[in-house]
Amino acid sequence: MTSLGDALARATRRGAGLLAAVVLVAGCGGDEPPRPSSAAGGPAAAAKTARFSFRDVATEVGVKCTTWCGRKEKPHIMESGGSGVALVDFDGDGHLDLYVVNGWRIDGEKVVEKGRNVLYRNRGDGTFADVTEAAGVGDDGWGNGVAVGDVNGDGKPDLYVTNFGKSVLYVNQGDGTFHRPADPPGIDGWATGAVFFDADGDGDEDLYVAAYIEASLDDVLHAKPTLDWKGAKVMFGPFGLEGKANQYFRNEGGGKFVLATEEAGLVDEGKYYSFGVAAVDLDGDGDLDLYVANDSNPNYLYRNDGHGHFTEMGLWSGGALGTNGEAQAGMGVAVGDYDGDGLPDLCVTNFAEDYTALYHNLGRCLFKEVSSPAGIAAPTTKPLSWGVVFGDLDLDGDLDLFIANGHIYPQADTTPGAGTTFAQRNLLFENEGGKLRDVTEQAGPGLQVLRSSRGVAVGDIDDDGDLDLVISNVDAPPTILRNESPRRGAWLTVDAPGALRVVAEAGGRTFARDFVRGGSYLCASDPRFHFGLGPVAKVDRLTVTWPSGAKTVQTDVAVDRFVRVARP
Amino acid sequence: MKRTALVIAIVAVVGVSSYALGAGTEKPLVATYDKIADGILASNHAETAVIQAILASHRSAGEAAAAAGKWDEAAANMALWANEGDNAVGGIRKRLLEGGHHHNAEGESKGLFEPGFVVVTVAAKKAALDLVAKLQAAKDDAARKAAWAEFAKLCDATVAAAPK
Repeated sequence: MTSLGDALARATRRGAGLLAAVVLVAGCGGDEPPRPSSAAGGPAAAAKTARFSFRDVATEVGVKCTTWCGRKEKPHIMESGGSGVALVDFDGDGHLDLYVVNGWRIDGEKVVEKGRNVLYRNRGDGTFADVTEAAGVGDDGWGNGVAVGDVNGDGKPDLYVTNFGKSVLYVNQGDGTFHRPADPPGIDGWATGAVFFDADGDGDEDLYVAAYIEASLDDVLHAKPTLDWKGAKVMFGPFGLEGKANQYFRNEGGGKFVLATEEAGLVDEGKYYSFGVAAVDLDGDGDLDLYVANDSNPNYLYRNDGHGHFTEMGLWSGGALGTNGEAQAGMGVAVGDYDGDGLPDLCVTNFAEDYTALYHNLGRCLFKEVSSPAGIAAPTTKPLSWGVVFGDLDLDGDLDLFIANGHIYPQADTTPGAGTTFAQRNLLFENEGGKLRDVTEQAGPGLQVLRSSRGVAVGDIDDDGDLDLVISNVDAPPTILRNESPRRGAWLTVDAPGALRVVAEAGGRTFARDFVRGGSYLCASDPRFHFGLGPVAKVDRLTVTWPSGAKTVQTDVAVDRFVRVARP
Repeated sequence: MKRTALVIAIVAVVGVSSYALGAGTEKPLVATYDKIADGILASNHAETAVIQAILASHRSAGEAAAAAGKWDEAAANMALWANEGDNAVGGIRKRLLEGGHHHNAEGESKGLFEPGFVVVTVAAKKAALDLVAKLQAAKDDAARKAAWAEFAKLCDATVAAAPK
């Protein structure tokens, strides 16, 4: 809540003069080793890795870039959000590359390092080479999120980085380099999540950009912790801070964007504090709807009428609030059919001392919040959660859930009775017939690492058929969790660019995967459709649905392989 | 000794000045503050009135939709009633909170009201949203009408219990 003291502190901050900043332009910085939790490593932990086994291989595969986010003390809320990562095959060689967004490091009231974004090319063996310079994608703005899309319809993935300041568009030239247009669409300020998707069904990809609060670099540099939290002074906000409006940019063709927020019905009426965004067909009507996770306010659910006009229906969809009707602190959003009923469900991460919300899709764009009965409410209440992804991590035929955690107050580590820590353990839930069981402790050493994590992207980075995880951390290098879990079944990865939905029928079961753009927190995951299938020898029928409604059907598809399906 | 005399002299001057001013606040300033108080209190009443009007408008729109069998529209209005308005109203509520204005500060501290809410209590909001879900899950019009009737009762009770 806003106190007079806080208001005065804010006014003082805003009135403070601009101090010259000493700036160091630098790439990857120091490499702080991860802190293992008490449960990490050792024979006892190894013995527990029966079902899942994840190992942090970031250093050994060559990903060492530290991603910065302000000062160690984090006196301004801008220093809390961290940045994202994208898994994208930018060079079309069939292997997932990694783009890491970076922020700035501040010391006192000075920017001492402008962290540069880094593009890591996958060598094909799961190791990475830094190709940032050659590709020309090393922006050194204070980066937040990343979206992957195809702005000019040339079939090559482009990158969009939301910055604190002017955002950046990198258009893929197809020769390993990117072109940076001088005047990209975007929000000048603290932009957060972003997503490319064909909102109006005209065949090109439009852009939606979320934003958090109005803030200037001056505010950030001169911020002091003024909020009382469990006996400590910590950063103030978001309550009491002015929200910044999300925007929508329509692609006029060829990557020319025009601001069309009002026309599309996407006006951010509440100027809520927005973070994660996802575009997905939630009501099965063949167009992409939009979901926006809002911090401390109701989440937005925009239903698409099929022509690029949206109606916000979060409040009455059942997908905007917690189970008691309360607004939560939305951070990230995952989309997936966790209960196998063919409808995409939503999972929204929230602040500490609040649970991650799981919204079961009832059809017709209606949702029921089922976190407690599904089993995730209690384990997610203590940590502060951000990135979130569904994925069949053990290939047994259902979607498991991974959540990245980390507190925003470093003071938690020095405050007696805080009951929490800045660095936190991430969470893994095993899907057991629609119930999600916390198996973090039995998931190998990679799940015991303690860091203040933010985003997570999921994809098969070593081309072995199972899903790996890349997690962004605050003031530390990313964590790359290689999936070394025992296999519980066959797999199939379907590369069907532009498809709306892919359904696999195998062994008497039906597995549905929807096209999802965005999602998680400030991240972009592997866009391919990945299936764990359980113990089957083949997929009896594979149906790919395109936005036009046309379907491509293949029968008797061999498993344990990558399949490409071209748009008819 | 000299310092003591100086202190006494200052106190005397201040005392005489205060006496000369009537030992009270200047009347025009008091009158101005009094007018402002009228305005603040009137604003609070006006805030209650406008929220009551917002609630009445959503109830009325929902009622019309229910009568016409437009159940999605009825459900939408029920949810907007529960939220004391749409996201635009939410934005205004957020702005008031940013400025330190809490209409039901005491109720908020007791957990009875969400921050910034004027009429709809936490319990009423939850009950209304549950009825939205009940209406949307209903199998037939009779069940939908029953859910609407429950909602109408809730509206009456909530509005009647609200501070005037």
